[in-house]
Amino acid sequence: MIAVLLFWQLPLVYKNWELLASVILLASLVIFFAGFERSAVSSREVGVIAVMAALAAVLRVPFAPLPGVQPTTFLVIIAGYVFGSRSGFMVGAVAALVSNFFLGQGPWTPFQMLFWGLAGASAGLLGQLLPKAGNTAMLSFSIAWGYLFGWLMNLYFVVFFIKPLAWRAVLLAYAASFPMDTLHALGNACFYLLLGPQLIKVLRRFQEKMTYVEG
Amino acid sequence: MLEQLSYKEKDAFLQHLHTAAVLTYLGVLLLLPLIIAHPLYLMGILFAGILAIYVSGAVEESMPFLVMGIWLALAVMVVNPLLVQNGSTVLLYGPDLPLVGRLRITLEAICYGAAMGMRLLCIIIAFALYNAVVHPDKMTGLFSRFAWKSSLVVSLATRMIPATARDLSSAKEVQQMRGVDFSSGSFRERLKKYSWLLEVLLLSSLEGSTATAEAMQARGFGSGRRSCYNRELARPRDYLCCAGSVLALVLAIYARVKGYADFTFYPELGALAGGSGLVWLGVIMLCLLFPLILGWGCRHWPYLRSRI
Repeated sequence: MIAVLLFWQLPLVYKNWELLASVILLASLVIFFAGFERSAVSSREVGVIAVMAALAAVLRVPFAPLPGVQPTTFLVIIAGYVFGSRSGFMVGAVAALVSNFFLGQGPWTPFQMLFWGLAGASAGLLGQLLPKAGNTAMLSFSIAWGYLFGWLMNLYFVVFFIKPLAWRAVLLAYAASFPMDTLHALGNACFYLLLGPQLIKVLRRFQEKMTYVEG
Repeated sequence: MLEQLSYKEKDAFLQHLHTAAVLTYLGVLLLLPLIIAHPLYLMGILFAGILAIYVSGAVEESMPFLVMGIWLALAVMVVNPLLVQNGSTVLLYGPDLPLVGRLRITLEAICYGAAMGMRLLCIIIAFALYNAVVHPDKMTGLFSRFAWKSSLVVSLATRMIPATARDLSSAKEVQQMRGVDFSSGSFRERLKKYSWLLEVLLLSSLEGSTATAEAMQARGFGSGRRSCYNRELARPRDYLCCAGSVLALVLAIYARVKGYADFTFYPELGALAGGSGLVWLGVIMLCLLFPLILGWGCRHWPYLRSRI
């Protein structure tokens, strides 16, 4: 549909990058949530997703004194890695949405929902492709998402607020956010090193308990 | 911070509208500044948003949003002329800078930045109003019609947040009783102390999730078609507010397409107001302010309140 739209009204789209960007943003959120709606989820899965999302949301606050450092991304990634893409996306997206009920919804909510959701979903994909991914792989994955989260946010900032689009603006935005992104990535790395393998073990064990059937 | 929702019950007119009606109004307040970049229109929309916050009694809660919005708007206003070289009225030639090239500050780029800043402010105000007038439960209630699994997860997580925040502070107190000082030590040490908390919290939350799941199972989760119960009434005032907002949106799109609400920034600023432009602005503003006028009427005129 987006492709058709692109060809049909190329000049309009070229003039309204932000329109295209919002359509892509909303469409991807709808697609992911619709996927969750269509799937058969058990009450335990619903409980776990809600708990992980609430935990990730609550832990946004106590780390506020350390700029850029929060365990939310880390928690979303390990939840996605253990429970799969669908649950990972839901944990990330719901954590962003729900924490903002308390901290204040803003134009940033859909972006945080999508990008944290994507972090969880991609971690689920990683878990599927490399179920035995070692610490190095997971560590570099967490660091990568620290940067990626900031970069995706920048991309949207530039698309929405700088017009006409100038490469200098893109460069400047990325340069300005680099220290913050580095802190975010370092935070992710620290949390993974301190807690990662242990928490993954806890979650794996819990997942076994969740799906255990007497037979 | 996480103990209380940002929504506070104020008995305001907008808070008691049907969720769909108030969301339509908020959606129009959010879309209008994206559709129209004309400075006068942006000012009008901003005025409507701020007035709505004022009559909903949410000035205090919205202050942080307003302050942040103004700073962001100023930042966009300053950054745009530095990055964009378009425009014919040059105010200042700057020195040659590495990477960026020669600075060329134009009046048009500053004005465009100001308009974009105002647009951003309008959007932030619309969100501040959303926080003040829509209870999260009403929102999840509306979505539970067609996305009940996601809505269930969202409302469960919303319920769990204050409890989890309390668990976190009690876990922290327990650690402090054992002599852990969270405010001392190097960055690494502090991070380590907080990580312990995180682990404790995760373990206890996971236990809690099993209990939640069992409670849901006991209440028949997933045992058949789900019934839906809604307590919200759709009253004439809801239809009136919806109609006003949609009319404002339709008129704005029409005015934009026909060119009544256009404003050229580059290469030279256009005229601010000319011909029928102001009439359109007036009509759109009237539609936007209509729900607020109704709210005022309902408060001061019991007869109107009983009729709609």
